[in-house]
Amino acid sequence: MYNLLQRLSGVLSFAVSVLMALTVLIAVTTPLIPSSPTHAVALHGVKTTTGRPMDPFDKTSRAAEHARLTFDVDADLTSMFNWNTKLLFAYIAVEFEAPGFETNKVVIWDRIIRNPRQAKLRLRRHHNKYSLRNFGLTFEGVEAANLTLYINPVPYLGLMYDRPMHSIPLTLPRATPAA
Amino acid sequence: MDILKNIFAGGRIDFAGQAAASSLSTLLLAAAAAAALAAGLAVQRLDVCFGVYALGVVVALAAVMPPWPMFRRHPPVWLARCPAPQRRATVEDVSD
Repeated sequence: MYNLLQRLSGVLSFAVSVLMALTVLIAVTTPLIPSSPTHAVALHGVKTTTGRPMDPFDKTSRAAEHARLTFDVDADLTSMFNWNTKLLFAYIAVEFEAPGFETNKVVIWDRIIRNPRQAKLRLRRHHNKYSLRNFGLTFEGVEAANLTLYINPVPYLGLMYDRPMHSIPLTLPRATPAA
Repeated sequence: MDILKNIFAGGRIDFAGQAAASSLSTLLLAAAAAAALAAGLAVQRLDVCFGVYALGVVVALAAVMPPWPMFRRHPPVWLARCPAPQRRATVEDVSD
């Protein structure tokens, strides 16, 4: 610290270390911030069809059974926005067990919420954005299916995590052959 | 170049001043971080937090980098100059 350059170097080095400690402190205290979101998901119906070409890059998609869901979502996520929230990633996933595959999780709808103004979700009679089908060709033997709304808060500093909000059971029926 | 050398390699302060500069800069940076956290949490904005911290770093640099008179209160006391010793021959005359 005996000359100006030494003092400049020492102060700047310590300033960067303190900056690192500050960012770690912010990242670690963010999950402790309380939030009280409201959430509700209602399912109107599930219709399974087959024989329609869904994915131009998947040769099996024409023969596979695809489920089309009709659902309602009501959620108020404004309290999940704090100073360390960059955006909220809301998605709806269907989880089920199939013969041969223990856990399956298919995302059927998602939305990026960038600020508290967009944080009130109100979907009425919505269909799934992405196709829902089994890894096999049909829904034969598919059990324990449920529909879950997840919110994933993406922070500026820190780790992301999935937060399941609302879960309802559903059944995936087999497709009725065209009469 | 000499001007730069005079600016950056100069600015000497005495030993008591160096200890004071070191602890003062540590204290100021820690206080800047605490103030930044408080300010950011109050208005709920991350850019305010890091902006306040940057200002705190500038304040710490301004308080410690220039050779203020308070860092030069106790100049080191050098010993008095001794007369230069006589040059003596290192080889002794050994005659047997």
